[in-house]
Amino acid sequence: MTRRQWSGAMRLLRALAAAAALVVVLFPVYAIIVGSFESTETLFSGTFYWLPHAATLENYRTVLHAQSGNVLTSLFVGLGTALLALAVAVPAAYALSKYRLRVTVVIVSSLLVAQIVPSIVLATSLFIIFHWIHLVNTFPGLIIADGTYAIPFAVLVLRAFFFSLPNELMDAARVDGASEWTTFRRIVIPLARSAVITVAVFAFLNGWGDFIFALTILNGTGILPITLGIYTYLGNYSTDWGAVMAASAFALVPAGIMLVVAQRYIASGLTAGSVKG
Amino acid sequence: MHESTQAGAAAPTPATSGATGPSQSSGGGRPPWRSAFRSRQVAGWLFLTPAVAYLLFAFLLPIIYNLMLSFEHTSPATIAKFAAPFAGLANYRYIFHDPTTQMAIIHTFEFTFGSLFFQFIIGFALALLFGTEFPGRTVGRALVIVPWLLPLFVTGVMFKFLFQFEGGAVNQILMAVGLAHHPIDWLNSPHLALWTVLIANIWLGVPFFTVLLYSAIQDVPTEVTEAARIDGAGPWQRLLLVIVPIILPVIEIVLLLGFVFTVKVFDLVIGLTGGGPANSSQLITTWSYNLSFQQFNFGQGAALNNVLLVLALICSPLYLWLSRDSLQGSSGGER
Repeated sequence: MTRRQWSGAMRLLRALAAAAALVVVLFPVYAIIVGSFESTETLFSGTFYWLPHAATLENYRTVLHAQSGNVLTSLFVGLGTALLALAVAVPAAYALSKYRLRVTVVIVSSLLVAQIVPSIVLATSLFIIFHWIHLVNTFPGLIIADGTYAIPFAVLVLRAFFFSLPNELMDAARVDGASEWTTFRRIVIPLARSAVITVAVFAFLNGWGDFIFALTILNGTGILPITLGIYTYLGNYSTDWGAVMAASAFALVPAGIMLVVAQRYIASGLTAGSVKG
Repeated sequence: MHESTQAGAAAPTPATSGATGPSQSSGGGRPPWRSAFRSRQVAGWLFLTPAVAYLLFAFLLPIIYNLMLSFEHTSPATIAKFAAPFAGLANYRYIFHDPTTQMAIIHTFEFTFGSLFFQFIIGFALALLFGTEFPGRTVGRALVIVPWLLPLFVTGVMFKFLFQFEGGAVNQILMAVGLAHHPIDWLNSPHLALWTVLIANIWLGVPFFTVLLYSAIQDVPTEVTEAARIDGAGPWQRLLLVIVPIILPVIEIVLLLGFVFTVKVFDLVIGLTGGGPANSSQLITTWSYNLSFQQFNFGQGAALNNVLLVLALICSPLYLWLSRDSLQGSSGGER
């Protein structure tokens, strides 16, 4: 075997290894989608079909009827979380990267530690605190709680990005007479667009996919995000798998859209938030 | 500090936004550079205020309240009140003598270290694989992060579907390749339920390791690995003696974050096993939820929360130390 053939064979082998890994990665998602098109009889027949067996839209009809309000609720919670995260994190990240403040170390350390705090710790207390101030079972309450995933991450990612902006840009704006706020709004935010999108995408996904705060801070009546909607389908002894699969497929849609539309922001954002933050 | 008076006038606030313009007149008798410095300090503080308020309200307050709660005798009736009767260490005594709690703590360790071990090995292998040249690697790299983006609860439900006793894809695959002769009752077996949670968690955590280790490996200068190759180092030597030492800081931080993200897993377990059967897949998080929100023993739940919090925060000094470069610094230019 010549060297060229050898390296070609290696490339093929690696491609096959990667393909095998991707099959494992993608199969569970594929199985949900197949399952969502199966009839109840098929789902309870005791056989998993690799391709839809007698495909039907029945499950989607059920779920659209029962869950479309919940999808809207999750959409609203996701957008609310993204807006809250941006409102809090963009100015903070700017201050923590471009102003020499004495508290910078303290705040950045607090944000790093905040990322570590388990949600169940916050959920238990927030439930009671929200009880006093009437935020239990409200959108603002849920969005504030969902921000606990998104905000520390958002500040750290944006801060890492702001470091890359040259100080001369801001100085030039100031020399031209712009106030600090104008500089921030007219110069800094437009330049930070890609980082802001990354952060907004993640905050949205956090709010959209949240389960623990929905389970604790909402009481199951009135506001019902899609995750709680799915939870109610999971009975102890019998589960309506068709409806569960179709509702889960709905719950995966934003992630799919983000993967296609915002792909280039995702990997870089994840890396920046974890390591460079 | 001195946020009032003259410097405050120069500080832009959201309300006065664009119209403010240059406001150097407000410096009083001070040299202009000094007043500019002051007004910048105030602006910085104003930019920071929402985040500080949020940290205090959504993190510090609940943590402190959780601590108080763990020393209180709570009941459904006390939730509406600000304080319940003092309980001393009763809640802690209860949870440390409760067999289910002990089991949940042990499960949490098994689950966390089991996850980390496999996630790291698989994640590292994939990072190396995607660092090499082969057809389709760009698409592969994009798709490998899919598990990371899915709602955790939905992932749990998804695996519940895959692990079904009858009609579950996992059993069907195992039987097709001859690894099992009969379907395995994964979710109803106290010996296996924790394994299903572990497997699902490995699946969803691998991308985190792959992405971060991949970008670290890409940052290793090729001259260094080339030099090692010329000096006669084989692939394993290059990996263990050159690449690993260079990316060690990233490995440390990835393992550390992996640890703290794994000890707090909750949604996945509820979606997959609900902690059962017979509490056999109960973790600290799910058992704490059970104590607080199903048995309404918020004091006991809070005490267990503090155990979890200590477990997670043990890592924070190390995390801060590993991130020390990013703590300070306010310059522009470098990444």
